[in-house]
Amino acid sequence: MKNILIIFVFLALAFRIEAQHAKSVILIYLDGGPSQTDTFDPKPGSSRDISGNLKDPIQTNVPGIIINQKLPLLAKIANKYSLIRSMTHGVNGHETGHYAMITGDLSGGSVVYPSYGSVISYMKKDTYKGVLPSYISLVSANNRFNEGGFIGNEYKSFDTSGAPENSIFEVDGFVNRLVKPETLKSRLQLLDGFEKANQLFRNTANSLVLDSLRQRNNQLIFGKAAQVFDLATETKEMRERYGMTRIGQSCLEARKLVEAGVPFINVRITGWDTHKSHFQRMNIMLPELDKALSALLIDLDEKGLLEKTIVLCGGEFGRTPKVLWEAPWNGGRGHFGQAFSYLVAGGGFIPGKVIGATDKTGENITDRKVFPCDLIGTVYLLMGIDPHGTLPHISEGMLPLLPSLGKANQSNGLLFELINLKKE
Amino acid sequence: MKKILRIIFFSLLVIPLHANEIDKYILSEKGMQQVCSDEVFIRRTFLTITGRLPKTDVVIQFLSSTDPQKRTILIDQILNSEEYVHYIVMRWGDILRIKSEFPSNLWPNSVQAYDRWLYEKISGNTPYNQFVSELLLSKGSNFRTPTVNFYRAFLKRTPDNIYKNISLLFLGTRKTLDDGQLCFYQIRYKNTKEWKEEIVYPDVRIFPATSTIKMFDGKEIRFDENQDWRIPFVAWLTSKENNRFAGVMANRLWFWITGKGIINEPDDWRKSNLPSNPELLNFLTNRFINSGYDMKAMIRLILNSKAYQSEMAPKGQYIPQRLQAEVTVDALADITGIYDSYMSRVPEPFTFYPEGTRSVDLGDATVSSSDLELFGRVSRDVSLESQRSNKITSRQLLYLTNSVELEGKIRKSNILNRICAQNNNVDDVCKAISLMTLSRYPTKEEIMLFKVYAENNNLKLRDLATVIQWTYINSSEFLFNH
Repeated sequence: MKNILIIFVFLALAFRIEAQHAKSVILIYLDGGPSQTDTFDPKPGSSRDISGNLKDPIQTNVPGIIINQKLPLLAKIANKYSLIRSMTHGVNGHETGHYAMITGDLSGGSVVYPSYGSVISYMKKDTYKGVLPSYISLVSANNRFNEGGFIGNEYKSFDTSGAPENSIFEVDGFVNRLVKPETLKSRLQLLDGFEKANQLFRNTANSLVLDSLRQRNNQLIFGKAAQVFDLATETKEMRERYGMTRIGQSCLEARKLVEAGVPFINVRITGWDTHKSHFQRMNIMLPELDKALSALLIDLDEKGLLEKTIVLCGGEFGRTPKVLWEAPWNGGRGHFGQAFSYLVAGGGFIPGKVIGATDKTGENITDRKVFPCDLIGTVYLLMGIDPHGTLPHISEGMLPLLPSLGKANQSNGLLFELINLKKE
Repeated sequence: MKKILRIIFFSLLVIPLHANEIDKYILSEKGMQQVCSDEVFIRRTFLTITGRLPKTDVVIQFLSSTDPQKRTILIDQILNSEEYVHYIVMRWGDILRIKSEFPSNLWPNSVQAYDRWLYEKISGNTPYNQFVSELLLSKGSNFRTPTVNFYRAFLKRTPDNIYKNISLLFLGTRKTLDDGQLCFYQIRYKNTKEWKEEIVYPDVRIFPATSTIKMFDGKEIRFDENQDWRIPFVAWLTSKENNRFAGVMANRLWFWITGKGIINEPDDWRKSNLPSNPELLNFLTNRFINSGYDMKAMIRLILNSKAYQSEMAPKGQYIPQRLQAEVTVDALADITGIYDSYMSRVPEPFTFYPEGTRSVDLGDATVSSSDLELFGRVSRDVSLESQRSNKITSRQLLYLTNSVELEGKIRKSNILNRICAQNNNVDDVCKAISLMTLSRYPTKEEIMLFKVYAENNNLKLRDLATVIQWTYINSSEFLFNH
């Protein structure tokens, strides 16, 4: 085990990721925990107790890779992504599962780590020159814990709010159907006059700060930035390719944000916590996911963006491979942190591969465990961030970016087998 | 008792403002201070110790009063209010890290018990030394003895972590100064049959490896067999000779009120981090001890000082601060009359807070909203005061300036509907909104600005009211406690 780690460290030193790093990450976060056996790790030939109503997985366009029957569009483009079937952290509670999966921290220390969106936002603070926030959630981040962690509020996600699938995607602060731009301009002039007449605050340090922030915001509201949130600039055909659903239009919006240079986009889709009515809900949700994710990958590829954009899809954990047929679940699946799947694509990830495997029951990993920090560390590496780097903590000094990385039972090495390495 | 109170009350009335003892230490170094206006004073004081804007009728009454003691009287009224208790409970909840889920993982039942305990202690103005003793000597069930949750709010419940937290909270140090962690070696946890119930207790059968430990101030603590070792520790911590214990709290209160500690950050008492005014700190520390660790009396003393009532910098020395997250969100709800709804996701099925709940009263940092996060609500991950960020950001202004949510609230506001129905002219509408939002009467100049705007844009009164409210909310005067 140790030898493998040493080899990996050696590889990391001897090789270098292609000079051109990935520029953006799109995380399609299936909040609640999607079933791995009903998506990317099907168990053909298994009993109804495992496969339920979805017992006929389909071949993809990559020989040997099969996925669930409800994902036919993704099956046609398996050469554009890879699958990790051996994600694990062993946590079965939502909030701790979220924490593990979006910070990579399994160390159980007393420090709250930031999410990888926040870390990337923090690391890119000097190099990202865009006007939009560097970490955006469609339509909101998971606020189950403080995901700015110890690096602070500033690096938390910008939550768009609103609904991209509606006729107008109302993004708080950017798109406001109640106040027309001309009206807002005249109001801002009024405010300016009001501030100038204010004896108390005129020309104080605080009013000057406010002034410069307002000017910056005016560029955002009246400039091109707000247009990035205007989905009407896309053709009807393009919008329908993604599906007129929350996940579909969020993925389309994510592509627009990638074009605008935003480093981290979190498409958070709730409703995957299917303790009850699991199969009925999968019948609706899987085709929506299939359409949105396949459209995104194809679109990014066609526009030449996939090379520089990492796409990830998964949740805080998986679901019990065994169907709970008994009351009160009546055909549901429980939380499962022992073994679950993630889809990875673009940004330097090698496509068309499967790494890791689970046994026939889907309950045990038989090959290549991947812990949260292994995946997140690999994303850092592809984004040009040293996964072995550090972050400043207000009272604890410099702390490792990924405290679990390299520790037994918390890490099993970065995913070098899934990324392109080029000799120096 | 009553007699003493009466004496204190009258002596306060007799002492003129400039004779506040704090000012001896400040005026001597900076010369005479400019004292803020009544309008500023009432707003500042309500925001500072209740986290709320003063109500319109209270503002009008206060501004029109000619009583020379009206500030002192108002301070006493506020200090006796429920709102004061709720706000201080929130500040304590922040540093005790009260939350249901990660990383404190207290669970909702315990959070409610803990919050209720704080409420009773602050409401009864329990002396600080007694408050801390009760907290640190607790044992029993997390549902029935709220204070044991102090020992549960750790991801890693080790004596080291417990002592680190005690050192930070009560000795103002980020690094432990001695072997005090030994006093917590006996702490044990066990489950009961009830879901999520936990018993916290000291296992007094544990034999001490050493019979005495030397504390950072040179005093010794002796362990006896079959004894809860926390008892000698707490006796040492809260003893009158331990100046540091009183000083940290007096300085924390100064920080809560003025936004800047005499030692700043207030939980960083390293030797190299010198107090800005050692004489004042010394005075406050001794006063706090001699008052019997009376937190309310300390707050009263500070609020009555010219130092606190000074005009905003650069004219005076008061440093304006952006309204805190909870205060901002609650103020916006109060002035529009539309409150956000809050819910707890644990345990399932979800718990919904009653309509009209104020964010200051949530009690549980796990319960939050996008707006609270936007304005930098304290997440209660650590006990450091610096976890509260009052920084003003571009995103916050975007929300205030151009969001459907806030614009919708202002337009739908029943309060503005009523104001417009009761007053059918711009002057009075402007006056009502100004008193409610900025705690002052509008100036002629700004009424003029609004009138011109209404004419140019051909606005009806109710639509103008929306614009006036929008302007006030976006003004520096509203965004800052000044």
